[in-house]
Amino acid sequence: MTQLIWNGLFVGSFYALIALGYSMVYGIIKLLNFAHGDIYMLGAFIGFTVLSSFGGITASMSIISLLFVLIISMLLSGAAGVAIERIAYRPLRNSPRLAVLITAVGASFTLEYGVSAIAGPNPRVFPVRLGGNSFDFLGARLSVPQVILMAIAVVLMLGLNMYVQRTSRGRAMRAIALDPKGALLMGINVNAVITWTFFIGSALAGAAGVMAGAYYGKIDFLMGFIIGLKAFTAAVIGGIGNIKGAMLGGLLLGLLEAFGSQVFGGQWRDVFTFAVLILFLTLKPTGLLGERVTERV
Amino acid sequence: MKLRRIMVAAVALAALTTSGCSGILSGGGSGGGSDKGPITLAAVIPTSGSSAPTGTYMENGMKMAIDEINAKGGVLDGRKLKLDVEDGACDPTQAAAAANKAVSNGAVVSVGGYCSGATLPTLPIFNSAGIPMIIPAANSEDLVTQKLPNVFLINGTGVQQAAAALKFMKKDGVASVALVDDNTSYSKDITAETKKDAEADGSVKVALATSVTAGESDYSSVVNQIMSVKPDMLYWTGYYQEGGLIINQLKAAGYTGKIMVADGSVDPSLVKIAGGTNADGVFATMTQTPDTIKGAESWIADYKKKFGSDPGPYSTQSYDAVKLAAHAITEAKSTKGADITKALEAVDGFKLFSGPLKFTPEHTLSNGGFQILVVKDGKFVLQDALS
Repeated sequence: MTQLIWNGLFVGSFYALIALGYSMVYGIIKLLNFAHGDIYMLGAFIGFTVLSSFGGITASMSIISLLFVLIISMLLSGAAGVAIERIAYRPLRNSPRLAVLITAVGASFTLEYGVSAIAGPNPRVFPVRLGGNSFDFLGARLSVPQVILMAIAVVLMLGLNMYVQRTSRGRAMRAIALDPKGALLMGINVNAVITWTFFIGSALAGAAGVMAGAYYGKIDFLMGFIIGLKAFTAAVIGGIGNIKGAMLGGLLLGLLEAFGSQVFGGQWRDVFTFAVLILFLTLKPTGLLGERVTERV
Repeated sequence: MKLRRIMVAAVALAALTTSGCSGILSGGGSGGGSDKGPITLAAVIPTSGSSAPTGTYMENGMKMAIDEINAKGGVLDGRKLKLDVEDGACDPTQAAAAANKAVSNGAVVSVGGYCSGATLPTLPIFNSAGIPMIIPAANSEDLVTQKLPNVFLINGTGVQQAAAALKFMKKDGVASVALVDDNTSYSKDITAETKKDAEADGSVKVALATSVTAGESDYSSVVNQIMSVKPDMLYWTGYYQEGGLIINQLKAAGYTGKIMVADGSVDPSLVKIAGGTNADGVFATMTQTPDTIKGAESWIADYKKKFGSDPGPYSTQSYDAVKLAAHAITEAKSTKGADITKALEAVDGFKLFSGPLKFTPEHTLSNGGFQILVVKDGKFVLQDALS
């Protein structure tokens, strides 16, 4: 039982990190950024490249070098997110929603098959794998790397929440989410804030990509597809556009999957998970925390 | 990924039916090819995509057979064989297009077919063009149940693989097994057959039969299920990417039972993805690979000399497919599809790497030739030939 909860929370924290990017971008420009899952993949490949190019030194100091690689990958995948926004989304800002949505799907394919063309279609094995002892905690088996990754995820999420709530840039984000025109009239540089939002969201997804690569050990160019869909589900469950909702939705989705596969069997897990998505969309389209419009980002 | 694959398959099928109806397919049931000049053998195999390495092994095996035959003067009074390799990329749409191209290039016999899902849509294309197919690697039951007269499989099928798996479990004293597949037709085939066989036999208990979604990273839920039933053995029938992750996560969770994988997971990457020594001692059900065949040493040496690398999975089967095609053309004294098909059905005792060949009425091998490999020092080596 506690094992299920722990497994669910661990996977859920990955979903949550990615769901945040979906939610923030949707909150601000009402765009479902389907390329977001591929930014996660891109982050993993950037981490892989950086780690490989350092070769020898990494094996001995895996946690510290991981943090270093994490930061580089966050910066680069953040930049990639900004580039996609600038090239693919901004010119279409005032076009019909459908056009931007299709562009997002196009951006997703471009990233996937671009990486496949450059890095090759075969899966890559991460040069550093987080090893560490396992220990029992309240009847669940935890491993040290799991705890560390979970801690990193929590720190990133709390940091983001503080940033949005306490800083002037965060306030600007919330203002744009409420009323873009009004925000513009009040002297907020809307484009700069949108760029910044894409940067933060993509950096978080990139961080999740590196963490997944280092923990699970295998990366490939399609790894972002399914997890992107799951993160989208998490964002909807939590109330898309809401930061705390995305975090809550991610963790909840992880738990739903863990318990769903235990109760119904593994082959029904995705049926169960996406049935929950449909239920939410029909019964409570605003999600768990979606009503608190003032909190939107 | 799976969603996309399914959509792609549907589109491919739709494209097939429409093009079939409007008669775009060239050949139109006549088959054959011309009476003079080289005889073309077509091979739709993956030369791009994640299965490209195996495609290269297959292509090399075919080239080797063709060069040997041509050096001896070819077939049918000196006509040379020519290989036409078309990239199917392990993708139904691409494979269908590649098959159409092969037909219009004047193929006489098809000797390709690796991924079952991508081979399936090529069957009606070659069939309506009257071209016999000798499939060296693809082995889903779906290929057999079509009951097409022109299709011959020289790799063991899922039913035979399941039988081999159960045989080894009994031999190894396994009392309970967990069957996990990845929900694809090839993989589900094997688990379903193994479950049926085990239940009919009664000596091995199926403690768990479940599926996972391919393309994910976290398999903690299936690991958790396996840990809670504590089977003597896990039998994983999907491909190596997920297989490696599941082995890794099982070991991290403290699993000490045995693990066996099916032929889709027999790949050096399985060991790498599993990490460290996690994959050591993992068994596999697999048809012959060049290094597990007795008496293949000189063949391997020739291969190395020719291509500068070791032969890999399915290079022998592909070599055999070409040899068999040449044999059938010679016996039929014709390049007409119907004559070659008859000659193939009549084959009795033709020597393949897997043993003397005689097709069953379903056009499959009478003996699947599955054996058990084990991972030792990071490599798959022969454990038990099951003979």
